[in-house]
Amino acid sequence: MQKFLTKRAIASGISLMILVVLVFFLSRLTGDPTDLYLPIDASLEARENFREIHGLNDPLIVQFGRYLGDLVTLDFGDSIRKSRPALEVVLEAFKWTLALALITIALVSFAAIVLGSLAAFNVGGVFDRIATFFSLIGASAPDFWIAIVAIVLFSVNLGWLPTSGTGTVWHWVLPIAVLFIRPFGLILQVVRGSMITALSSAYVKTARAKGVKPRPVIFVHGLRNGMLPVVTVIGDQAAGMLNGAVVVESIFGFPGVGKLMIDSILQRDFTVVLAAIMVTAFAIFLMNILIDIAYAVLDPRIRY
Amino acid sequence: MTDTSPLPVTPATAEKGRLRRFAGMLLADKPALVAAIFLLVVLLCAVFGPMLLDAVATKQNLRARNAPPFDPSLGWMAFLGADALGRPLLPRIIVAAQNTMMIAAGAVLASMAIGSCLGLIAGYSRGRWAQIIPRLADVIMSFPSLLLAVIVLYMLEPSAANIILVLAITRIPVYLRTARAEVLEIRERMFVQAARVMGASDARIVFRHILPVVLPTLLTIATLDFAFVMLAESSLSFLGIGIQAPEVTWGLMVSQGRPYLTSAWWLSFWPGLAIILTTLSLNLLSNWMRVALDPQQSWRLEIGGKKNG
Amino acid sequence: MRHTTARLMGGVAALVLAAPAWAEGEITIALNEELELVEPCMASQSNIGRVILQNISETLTELDPTNGQLKPRLAESWEEVDADTWRFKLRSGVTFSDGSAFDAADVKHSMERTVSTTISCEIGAKFFGGMKIDVAVVDDTTVEITSDPAQPILPLLMSTLTIVPSETPVEFVQTPVGTGPYVLAEWNAGQNIILTAREGYWGEAPQVTKATYVFRSDDAVRAAMVGTGEADIVPLINQNDATNPATDFSYPNSETTYLRVDNMTAPLNDIRVRKALNLAIDRDAFLGTLIPADATKAVQMVVPTTLGSNPDLQPWPFDPDQAKALVEEARAAGVPVDTEIEMVCRIGNFPNVTEVCEALQQMFADVGLNVKLTMVEVAEWVQLYSKPFAEDRGPRMVMAMHDNNRGDPVFSMYFKYACEGLQSGLCDADLDKMIADATAATGDARGPAWQPVFKKVHEDLVADVFLFHMVGFSRVAEKLDFVPTIATNSELQLAQIKFK
Repeated sequence: MQKFLTKRAIASGISLMILVVLVFFLSRLTGDPTDLYLPIDASLEARENFREIHGLNDPLIVQFGRYLGDLVTLDFGDSIRKSRPALEVVLEAFKWTLALALITIALVSFAAIVLGSLAAFNVGGVFDRIATFFSLIGASAPDFWIAIVAIVLFSVNLGWLPTSGTGTVWHWVLPIAVLFIRPFGLILQVVRGSMITALSSAYVKTARAKGVKPRPVIFVHGLRNGMLPVVTVIGDQAAGMLNGAVVVESIFGFPGVGKLMIDSILQRDFTVVLAAIMVTAFAIFLMNILIDIAYAVLDPRIRY
Repeated sequence: MTDTSPLPVTPATAEKGRLRRFAGMLLADKPALVAAIFLLVVLLCAVFGPMLLDAVATKQNLRARNAPPFDPSLGWMAFLGADALGRPLLPRIIVAAQNTMMIAAGAVLASMAIGSCLGLIAGYSRGRWAQIIPRLADVIMSFPSLLLAVIVLYMLEPSAANIILVLAITRIPVYLRTARAEVLEIRERMFVQAARVMGASDARIVFRHILPVVLPTLLTIATLDFAFVMLAESSLSFLGIGIQAPEVTWGLMVSQGRPYLTSAWWLSFWPGLAIILTTLSLNLLSNWMRVALDPQQSWRLEIGGKKNG
Repeated sequence: MRHTTARLMGGVAALVLAAPAWAEGEITIALNEELELVEPCMASQSNIGRVILQNISETLTELDPTNGQLKPRLAESWEEVDADTWRFKLRSGVTFSDGSAFDAADVKHSMERTVSTTISCEIGAKFFGGMKIDVAVVDDTTVEITSDPAQPILPLLMSTLTIVPSETPVEFVQTPVGTGPYVLAEWNAGQNIILTAREGYWGEAPQVTKATYVFRSDDAVRAAMVGTGEADIVPLINQNDATNPATDFSYPNSETTYLRVDNMTAPLNDIRVRKALNLAIDRDAFLGTLIPADATKAVQMVVPTTLGSNPDLQPWPFDPDQAKALVEEARAAGVPVDTEIEMVCRIGNFPNVTEVCEALQQMFADVGLNVKLTMVEVAEWVQLYSKPFAEDRGPRMVMAMHDNNRGDPVFSMYFKYACEGLQSGLCDADLDKMIADATAATGDARGPAWQPVFKKVHEDLVADVFLFHMVGFSRVAEKLDFVPTIATNSELQLAQIKFK
């Protein structure tokens, strides 16, 4: 285990470095941010001045060297837009994203595994058809649709919940509900598929033939072996949420990392883009290590 | 001694038997049948739509702006209503099917093919590829698709091929990691050990023995990815990358209807419904295929689709 | 004993009388974007201005949006000393929110800070670029401001300069200090900004005692917040959501949309083609459909309330036959009218921009011009709109929306029409001279000096395709007594908000 963890940590560290280099150089290919920050009628001197202040005039290698040097002290530079340290800006946003992602993925995993397994138990039955139907609609409907319709229904017409914002527990209900729907649909289908295969395998059939009470034992046996692709897809969806849910954040006014990233990319705020990618990459790499460990736990035959 | 060898079956009758068997299984699963027919219709729209309906779909008419649906006075073309420029929605949806399908199919097939291959290699190999390829997936997972899209836009020009490239790259990780996870588990199984002992090459083992087991899960993911790609493409277009007005896709129609969600719901609703129905059909069909192609499961369909015992 | 009873009774009374939703004097404002900065020298950006201008930081003079006249604010009076110097008499007895007194030294420092090259202040770049400004302290309540070249509209320029204490460092501040009636009480990044009324303001105490600004980028949600009671004012809503006449107001927002035509490349260098472009557009068809009905057809770069705007100019009529004839005439004369002309529009520039551009493209196609529409995002659009232009470019038109809310054409005309102007698509020596003369004109001669400039651009040169002077929509809760004006585009003075 120890050896595995060290090997993975080093490998992930190398990936992180590659990511830094890639993002640094590639993002600067997308043009000069000066025009985006100054008014359209700013003079050429003002533009030159802006470039000087933000060190955009130096050759790329020099800028990169300076960036690496600062990175050692965890200084990701200052946001061009906000004139505050980029890391501070990103961490402020990331805590919202992390909270939303963790709560949602926990709810999704639980609900999808339970309901998907129940659907697989009786393939082609009523429950299966209904669960499949609704999960597929949820997984393919545009998320802003769902969000706005939910707001109009529950907030404007019924008045049960606030439209947006972050104040109380009630403010979290709609965003989490909207964020829940697509991954739930996808994971339910994957669970269902895996469980159908697992439940029709020889040893399960034997257990059933031997008269083992269906629900608990079969459930756990089937589940355990069908879990590998499920865990992988849950991880993929969680990674998506950690990268930020732009639509939910924009509509409900949650200042998460998704909207921050989009705005920073469109405004060429390189320092924030890089800091945000680093922070989310760190979280994602960590999650992937945990998932690999989970594979080994779920199936002892797996050796790395 | 009676001759118990089976009658020789000529290839032609064997072929006809297989097709008929599949057709029978499709008829047994009514939802899958409807799904298959719907997908055929979509395919026809994609192939012939722009050729036949382009003029009707692009005719602007500011007076019929946001015309509501189910109003027979505007002719049957405007049966689903009209958009913000008065263009009738039904022909527009039919014409948009081409771009939509091209991009979605292109991106999903490319990402599935590349991701699965890489995943199979990563899972089966015990050498350094097993370390390197998953890290590649990590890097892609952390690279925001919008940034990739903007970079591609700046280095190459905006075109449908480039948006397929961007979307394909960002969807590789899920296939890669799922394939890898399944292979990690399967390669320890008895039949794989047996095949190796018998001298089968690695490639044969992976593609002949392991891939068929992994394929159903990948197909399930792919069919749901279709919808994701259709909608992701539209949000990229909305930001200036990829398909732009006056070209159109279903996703773009949905996005363009967003400001009118509460006043003219039909602008977003019908293209959104098209996306949902296509996804639903693809998924029902893939669920059917999963059962039909699995020798341990196909009995469910061969008995006429009645509920299992 | 008695004190405790009194306090207890007071407490009970307060509970009984407390309003159910919001305490008296408190309002919530929903902005469409978060403020990146709360730095006073960036207050020319709309949302920063809406929070800071005249609420936290004040200016020497203030522009009255209804009549274009300058009112005194921190300066009581001003006079022209000579061609390039103005003397301002400052108000006495004014204090900043940190307790320090307001005097001439603060004005000097504010100016130097805004134009400093150590930081990049938008106010400095936008209004004081290309000139040398010197503020001389005559005494505590008098300053003399000299500019090179001479600026006849210097008092108007002073309505943009936010005044900060002389101790303010030359870097962007997180807690702005100003002479205005409010202080920044809290700034919760991404969530809200809270302003509270302060003691010691030199003017009348405002009715609004606390203002909370929240940020919602989705138009539908923002508009819905007034109905659910979560917001009281939404300065910017989408015209599709502006359906309630009791709460929704439209106001001219000093923005002008137009197509900037590149006059230097064929076939756009032929005046017949440019006339055809203008005649091909059915401007009336847009009003009330894609563009709000209250918008007006534009004939020049500035809104009619601006000094020097020409009232005699008429919008181009919709005459597609005449347009076709002109195109044919040009073709016969050898102009390559079939060359593909690129029309560049910016995504999200204004509501319905995509549809407007698609409709325009159709109208141009109907008169025989080969126009291709390209939608781009901000960064690309800026490259195409501003110089330097690519050497080997094809004929191009760029859709832009120009905002001139300062009441004088000088802020627009040089950039858009002079040979050296950064967004200018033409070069005409006569026009350059007229612009220079009008810029230097003083007093009553200024208005009449600008009018011929607009006439030349619109009628003689037909340089661009002018579209509309736009309107914005606001939603104000019924309990408030506040009507948005053209100034609401860039500021929202809390002191002007009253309760019914």
